[in-house]
Amino acid sequence: MTTIVGIKTKEGVVLGSDKRASKGFFIGSKITQKIAKIDDTLAVAIAGQLSDAEYLIKVSKAERKLIELRRGFPLTVKESARLIANLAYSGMKNYQPYFVELLVAGVDQEGGHIFAADMSGAITSEDFASSGSGSPIAYGVLESTYHKEITNEEAKQIATKAVSAAMERDPGSGNGIDVLVIPNLVLEVAA
Amino acid sequence: MAEAGNYGSRYPYFYGPEGRLVLVDSALEAVRRGSTTIGIKTPSFALLASHIKPVRQLIDPAEKIFVIDGHVGATGSGYIGDILQLIEELRLEAQKHRLNFESPIDVGSLAKHLGSFLHNYTIYAVRPQAASVIVAGVDQTGLQLYQVDPSGTFMRGSGFAIGQSSDIALDVIQHDYSGDMSVDQAVALSNKAIEKALGERPVVEVGVITTQDKQFQKLR
Repeated sequence: MTTIVGIKTKEGVVLGSDKRASKGFFIGSKITQKIAKIDDTLAVAIAGQLSDAEYLIKVSKAERKLIELRRGFPLTVKESARLIANLAYSGMKNYQPYFVELLVAGVDQEGGHIFAADMSGAITSEDFASSGSGSPIAYGVLESTYHKEITNEEAKQIATKAVSAAMERDPGSGNGIDVLVIPNLVLEVAA
Repeated sequence: MAEAGNYGSRYPYFYGPEGRLVLVDSALEAVRRGSTTIGIKTPSFALLASHIKPVRQLIDPAEKIFVIDGHVGATGSGYIGDILQLIEELRLEAQKHRLNFESPIDVGSLAKHLGSFLHNYTIYAVRPQAASVIVAGVDQTGLQLYQVDPSGTFMRGSGFAIGQSSDIALDVIQHDYSGDMSVDQAVALSNKAIEKALGERPVVEVGVITTQDKQFQKLR
């Protein structure tokens, strides 16, 4: 159930999600937050078991903070995605997988990045990605509208469009849209 | 508590009467007898140089400059066996970081890890490792040079000397150091420092990493 989308732009990254949490054929919640901010430069969009995702996010949030304090500069988006994927992988190998599909989105010194991470522990770097039961419909919108020169404002509109298209036809998605924009870091320029 | 002074002799692995860790001091003393070893950093490269003690004709001298990962190198002074174990610890930590984060480890984290590894030997009744290590590398934050001591202390800087007559060697480096010297000039400087410290023409092994190729390489 769920529809989440992530788009990489020249100016940063954009995440979008619906707000429905399903309990079988029943709508368990109409105001679910499926986009979790890890900090000001990184966020995760959740599809799948919410409890599993919450746990993964809590652990990776703590781990990321610890490493930043220890080494003095933050993890890159890829390092963070690998951290989360390793947790997911160890879950799978212990026959207690975390039932999640996550979009890890954030900005670092190199700009914006989107990674799709799933319960198998694999991560793939994407320009745009979607997950959840509504993703085939969302992908239809993304595939036809995404281009390399996209801005954050455009991506916001495309993300909204993709999620709302999915909400129209996917019974597992609905009840409104959340969008999060993470703009690129303002890099210090030598004076 | 009146006989606190006696504890020093009964438990040599705890504090001595002067409040110093006797075994750690001994380890530092062992390092001071090791081969003279130098680390120099400029804005464009970092260099490691270690004196190789002359051995018998038919015996190959031991390796003293080590590649830790592609972007990091290290050298040490003290007991060779202890140095080798610390080098292995550094290599392991570097590969662990690649496994966990899919990225090369930063030099500061390596130095910090080695510091806590060594510190562990100062809190139990064991023999502290008699080796100081100098680590050089390039990471996300640029060129880095660190020295790590048996006490677990680690320092960041642009010029280090450890081992035999290291005070003299460090004086030479401090005196002649310049931020815009070339690799060849730095090699000459380290040779000069070791020569001054030992009073003889030394055989020296050298390793360099530059900001251009970001790969640690042994010279010769």
